[in-house]
Amino acid sequence: MIQINELTKIYKLNKKQMMEHKTREKIMKAVDNLSLTAKPGEIYGLLGPNGAGKTTTLRCIATLLKPTMGDIEVCGYDTVKESEQVRKRIGFLTNEIKLDPQFSPKYMFNFFGKLHGLDDKNIDERRNELFTYFGINDFEDKKIAELSSGMKQKASIAVSLVHDPEVIIFDEPTTGLDIVTARSVTDYLKIMREKGKTVIISTHIMTEAEKLCDRIGIIIKGHLVLEGTLNEILDSTNTRDLEDAFFELYKIHNKEGE
Amino acid sequence: MVGTKNIIKKELTRVFTDRKMIISLFILPGVMIMVMYSIMGKLILNLEKDIEEHIPTVYIQNAPDDLKDIMDYVDYKANITYLGSDDKTDTIHDGILSGDIDLLVVFDEGFRETIDNYKEAGDPIPEVKTYYNPSEDYSSAARNEFISSVLNTYQQALLTERLGNIEQIQVFYIDRNPDDSVIVDEDRASGKYMSMLLPFLINIMLFSGAMGLGTDTITGEKERGTLASMLLSPIKRSEIVFGKLTSLGILTGLSAIIYAVSVAIGLQNLTGGAMGEMSNIKFTPLEIIQLLVILIVLVYFYVSIISLVAVYARTQKEANTYVTPLYILVMLGSVMTMFSGGTDKGLQYFAIPVYNATVSMQKLLIGELTGIQFGVTVGTLAAASLVIISFIIKAFNDERVMFNA
Repeated sequence: MIQINELTKIYKLNKKQMMEHKTREKIMKAVDNLSLTAKPGEIYGLLGPNGAGKTTTLRCIATLLKPTMGDIEVCGYDTVKESEQVRKRIGFLTNEIKLDPQFSPKYMFNFFGKLHGLDDKNIDERRNELFTYFGINDFEDKKIAELSSGMKQKASIAVSLVHDPEVIIFDEPTTGLDIVTARSVTDYLKIMREKGKTVIISTHIMTEAEKLCDRIGIIIKGHLVLEGTLNEILDSTNTRDLEDAFFELYKIHNKEGE
Repeated sequence: MVGTKNIIKKELTRVFTDRKMIISLFILPGVMIMVMYSIMGKLILNLEKDIEEHIPTVYIQNAPDDLKDIMDYVDYKANITYLGSDDKTDTIHDGILSGDIDLLVVFDEGFRETIDNYKEAGDPIPEVKTYYNPSEDYSSAARNEFISSVLNTYQQALLTERLGNIEQIQVFYIDRNPDDSVIVDEDRASGKYMSMLLPFLINIMLFSGAMGLGTDTITGEKERGTLASMLLSPIKRSEIVFGKLTSLGILTGLSAIIYAVSVAIGLQNLTGGAMGEMSNIKFTPLEIIQLLVILIVLVYFYVSIISLVAVYARTQKEANTYVTPLYILVMLGSVMTMFSGGTDKGLQYFAIPVYNATVSMQKLLIGELTGIQFGVTVGTLAAASLVIISFIIKAFNDERVMFNA
C-alpha cells in the first residue's frame, strides 16, 4: 500500500541548474500537491512526459528524497520518520541508480541480500528463482561492466527484488530492453500483482500503460491531472486510446501557467 | 553493524579483485618510490665520490722553497702552477669564479725570511691567503684539503724548527682518540636523525594514499550512481559511512606500509648504511603500541577529512581539486616539525591535528613522548575525526548532497 498525501517537492536550483532548465526562478516545483493511493494486488502506472515529476514522486516514495510538503506512507510507515522500515519493504529500480560495474550480478545480489538482513540459504533460494526467471544464470559471474545494457537492466531488476519486497517501485523498467526482455519484465510484474504486491511504475510508453496498469495517473508539470482505470480515462476525455487521451490532457494542462 | 561489516568486505574485494587497481594503488607507487630513492642516493654517492677523486687545479704565488717537500711528504695531489710575485692574478680570480680553477694560494713576499727573522713579540708575521669559490664543491674541497694537509703540516714543521720542542706550546692534548670520547645512546642518536625525516614521510604517504582511494570510493561511486543503491538498503546511513571509512583506512594503512618498505629498500640499495641506523632504533612494547595507536587515529583522521571533501564534491575531478590544498596543509604541518624537533613544546601544541601526530612520532622515536602528550594527541585526533564523521553522516542524509537535488 502506498499512500501519497498532498505531496509537493520543491528543488532549489543553483546557477548551472537554472541554465539547464532555462529559467530565472531559483526554485522549481517538481511535484505540486499530488495525492494518490496504490493498493496491494494492483499495478499503478504514472504516465507523463519527461520532467513531469514521475521520477521525483517515485524517489520520494523510495525515501531518497524528502517531501517539501505533504507526506507519504508505505505499508503504514512514514517515508521520512521511518525510512528504514520503508526501505525494508520496497524494491526500487531507476536508471540513475546502478550496480557497481566491478562486480558480478551474483556478488551484487548476495551483497544486497546481506544488507537486507537475509541469510545465505534465503539468498540462494531467491537468486535461483530470480536468476532463472530473468535468464541471468549464463552471465551471473561476469563483471557488470562487461554486460550489455539489457543484461545490466535484468541484473538490476533481480537485485532490487532480492528481499521479496511488498512494494515494487519501478521507474521506466523497460527502457533500453529488447521486446523479449521487456515482455519478461512486464510479465513478472503481473505475477507480483497476482501475489498481492503493490506495484507502481512510471512510463511514457502508452501501450505499456494500457496493457499493464490497472490504474493510471497522468502527471503533467507536477500535477496529477487525471487518475483512473483505462476506461475511466478514455470516458472522461472522450477519446479512443490512451495516446489521444494523453494529448487531449496535455493540450489543456501544458498551457496552464505559461 | 551487519551493514558496516558487509560494506567493508565489499570495498576490500573491489580493490583486491581489480588487477589495475592493485597495480596503480600499491605496486606502481611502491616501485616508483624505490627507484626514485635509489637514483637519488646513487646520485649523491656519485657526487661525493666525484669530489673525492677530482684532482684540483691550484695556483700558488710566491711558494717558499720547502713547500714542495711538505707536499711530497703529505702526498698532496693537485695540478699546481707556480706564480712569481710579478704575475697578475686577475685572470685566476675570474677562473675561480667560473669554476675552471679551484684554488689560488698567495704567500706573502719573502714569506720564509719573515718567519726566519722573527725574534720577539711585535715582529712581523707573514700571511698565507687563499682564494676560492664556496659555491663550487670542487673549490671548497680543494681549499679544505690544502689547509688541513699542506698548510697545517707546514706550520707544524716550521714551529718544530723554531722551537725545537713542539710540546712546549702544545701544553695539553684534547681527545687524542676521539672515538673513545663519544658517549651516546645509539638508539637516540639514530632516532634523532630518523625522527627528522620519518614522521614527514609517514604523513605524506598516509595522506596521498587516502587521497586517490577516498575520492574514488565516495565521489566516484556517487558519480557512477552506485552509492545510491546502497542508500536504498535498510541500514543506517552511519553504517555505510563507517563501512566506507574503515575500508578506506585499511587500504590506506596497507599502502603506507608498502610505501615505507619501498623507501627502506630504495635507501638500502644505495647506502647500505643509512638504513642500518634505522634498524638500531629499538622500541619498547609500550612504544610500539603507542606508535600504532597514533598511526591508526591519524589514518582515520585523514580518511575522514578526505571523505568529507569527497562527499560534497559532485565529480571526482572536483574532489581532487578540493583535496590538493589540504595535502599542502598536511605537508606544511609535517615540514614545520622537521626543523623544530629539539625544542620542547607546551601541551597545547599537542592539540593541533597533523602537527601533533608528527611531533609525537618524533618524540616517540627518541624515546621522549610523555603519557599526557600521547593522550592529548590521540584524544584530539580522535575527537576531530568524530566531529568530521558526524558531518559526513549528515551529508549522507542530505538529498542535495547525495542526489544533487
